[in-house]
Amino acid sequence: MACVISGLPESIIAAACARSGQRVLHVDSRNYYGGNWASFSFSGLLSWIKENQQNTDLSDECEDWRKLILENEEAIPLSSKDKTIQHVEDFCFDDQDSAEGVEEAGALPKLPVFGAPAAKGVSVGSEESPAEEGVSPGSEESPAAEIPVPESADGTSPSTDSAESAPEPGTTEAAPSESAAQEPKKITYSQIVREGRRFNIDLVSKLLYSRGLLIDLLIKSNVSRYAEFKNATRVLAFREGKVEQVPCSRADVFNSRQLTMVEKRMLMKFLTFCLDYEQHPEEYQDYESSTFAQFLQTRKLTPSLQHFILHSIAMVSETESSTLEGLQATKKFLQCLGRYGNTPFLFPLYGQGEIPQCFCRLCAVFGGIYCLRHSVRCLVLDTASGRCKAIVDQFGQRISAKYFIVEDSYLSESTCTNVCYRQISRAVLITDQSVLNTDSEQQVSILTVPPLESGKAAVCVIELCSSTMTCMKDTYLVHLTCPSTKTAREDLEPVVQKLFNLNTEKETENEELEKPKVLWAVYFNMRDSSGVEKNSYAGLPSNVYVCSGPDPALGNDCAVKQAETIFREMFPTEEFCPPAPNPEDIIYDEDEVEPEESGLSNSAETKPESSAEESSSGADAAVTKEE
Amino acid sequence: MEPGSGLPQRRAGGGGLDLGAGSAAGSPLQVIIIGSRGVGKTSLMERFTDDTFCEACKSTVGVDFKIKTVELRGKKIRLQIWDTAGQERFNSITSAYYRSAKGIILVYDITKKETFDDLPKWMKMIDKYASEDAELLLVGNKLDCEVDREITRQQGEKFAQQITGMRFCEASAKDNFNVDEIFLKLVDDILKKMPLDVIRNELSNSILSLQPEPEIPPELPPPRPHVRCC
Repeated sequence: MACVISGLPESIIAAACARSGQRVLHVDSRNYYGGNWASFSFSGLLSWIKENQQNTDLSDECEDWRKLILENEEAIPLSSKDKTIQHVEDFCFDDQDSAEGVEEAGALPKLPVFGAPAAKGVSVGSEESPAEEGVSPGSEESPAAEIPVPESADGTSPSTDSAESAPEPGTTEAAPSESAAQEPKKITYSQIVREGRRFNIDLVSKLLYSRGLLIDLLIKSNVSRYAEFKNATRVLAFREGKVEQVPCSRADVFNSRQLTMVEKRMLMKFLTFCLDYEQHPEEYQDYESSTFAQFLQTRKLTPSLQHFILHSIAMVSETESSTLEGLQATKKFLQCLGRYGNTPFLFPLYGQGEIPQCFCRLCAVFGGIYCLRHSVRCLVLDTASGRCKAIVDQFGQRISAKYFIVEDSYLSESTCTNVCYRQISRAVLITDQSVLNTDSEQQVSILTVPPLESGKAAVCVIELCSSTMTCMKDTYLVHLTCPSTKTAREDLEPVVQKLFNLNTEKETENEELEKPKVLWAVYFNMRDSSGVEKNSYAGLPSNVYVCSGPDPALGNDCAVKQAETIFREMFPTEEFCPPAPNPEDIIYDEDEVEPEESGLSNSAETKPESSAEESSSGADAAVTKEE
Repeated sequence: MEPGSGLPQRRAGGGGLDLGAGSAAGSPLQVIIIGSRGVGKTSLMERFTDDTFCEACKSTVGVDFKIKTVELRGKKIRLQIWDTAGQERFNSITSAYYRSAKGIILVYDITKKETFDDLPKWMKMIDKYASEDAELLLVGNKLDCEVDREITRQQGEKFAQQITGMRFCEASAKDNFNVDEIFLKLVDDILKKMPLDVIRNELSNSILSLQPEPEIPPELPPPRPHVRCC
């Protein structure tokens, strides 16, 4: 089967198919994985921004592939330009020119490339390594790194563990050099550029529920081996102009200094009820046609507790969500507490963009073939059967397969004429302090800001600290998300203004000074194709399956459900991502798959259904094939 | 109100919190092997971990990682060696692959010039995605094919010298020449820079792996189900 684009649902499907013995070819037109689920370094994101701000006209699309279509076939062209991102606006709140000529530092200490004699120890001869000795030491002296250093007139020196310092033997790396209790270090834009590698900025902002479809899938399939996670450490609320911490666990509630004794008892009582609310229908059945917000008002809870429960725990709409929806959402939150930590949520180290890559790796391990920078021009249909039999790529090659997975953004306008899309408003900020400063700087927080005006959506804010490996030391990466009503900036900037200080002048009001400062920001709208009915795509054969792009919800259930549904439609008798056998035993040889072959190639076809027996047998024999 | 005791589970079968402190050797040390197709990455790994070599196996698809426990400086260290899973074939290795690697072995084939010419491309990927703490090792493989040599030893050394601390050597997975040495030297370099205690603490401190590592007793070689070769 062939899979086009490497977003999360597609990657899960690819992994599931490879895991069940199918031949998988997974392509992506971009030079990175993940599509709209990807994450970028700072320089990578700047390129992405530039690309999406330009209106490149691709009217001169080459239609050479038409020659490859035979008489008994039809072609469905695919779109070559991605139209899912709009209204991209980026802002730098520091002097952008100060970063002129500053380059992003890499992992490697660089030597002067063009033979300049400046650094000592560069041309250590190879004579010092005797021929008999197997391993010859490289140059032990550390030449000065040639990465341009901006003027330190801004008063701060680069962090001690930056990429510039060559490692010194014996020194423990990454020692925390500054104590937490200090005024925030002044981070400049040029530092951000130079340390850009340390940023892993996700296009999609989500968390993993500790009990949820994605976590369960990661564990079941053993894909979790490929990633590491951190707990979200705080759940926050925004009430009466201030950010507060929401106590969620029993310990939090008891230890809270914000809540009175009475409030503590009220909250505990209510949350205990929510945990198995179905057992007490008498408590809520009179309110089934009310909103959850109205129901809360009847429950002897103070306004602040009602706010916490509605917005930060249940995270449902004040005006739209019913009592039952609210109770169910509260229960889900509570059930996720304590599995790994104090909040219901986990975050993947290095960002959400790692997760599609992890599934792609599983697919590759089980034989999947990966081709980035590989575009697909069209689907080829067999006129008689109406089924898709091949794709044609940018090189004019035909690749046959039995099943095709295509992500929504790849479909042409004519295929999508009847489709109505929603949008997601997104913002990413680099800031210098947390929205809520406490003893520990290293916090991962989720904050739900209720709608600032009626008719608008609540905004989900996720603040990441540097130990999530998504931003450089002494900065925070803040993601904002909401379903769009207007452009992302129009939807989100009011919230940004409430929480952060956007002024560049030094002299600001005291109130502003207390707020974290935004160093850099980007806003963009992303297409939300998650709610689209599959039959609203025009003219797609039954063996072509469409995956949607990211959805606006906090968790990843939508992607996983889609992947499983599509997999089961294709292979109803196969198990979906069963546990992988001991990695040592997964070695097998197979026939070469050569997509470069022109003409009709058999190699990419799926294997017959006999693969079903292979995958259900014991671990050792599971994937060993011809020997 | 939270189910259970509220304490994180420890090392349960599925989804347990792995704090590292409870296991024998702590979280394994991650090493990745990169290089162009066919240079012998998987062969080097298997020679080291299993002491096997399969001449006829052309393109090994399907190897995820292998674990081997070595003893260095009086300590038992679990080394986890990752394979590329064939994703280098079309230049499509994920950035995620480079992430937590403490050691990176970059391999070329001394009998194929193009694999040496590809090295700058691999260096670029390392520069972009790897940790700056990672130890680097350049290996010219297939020393057993001296007659077909296209890249001199000096060329290899010179390349490695461009990067501070990048070691170089030539090896043969087929003849089992220098293979143990290179892995052990790499681990030694990693340990020199970062003592084991620090590695363990750093990993166990608030970073979760959702599953414990596959339980393979360090003394026994991993079970080989049958003769591998096609």
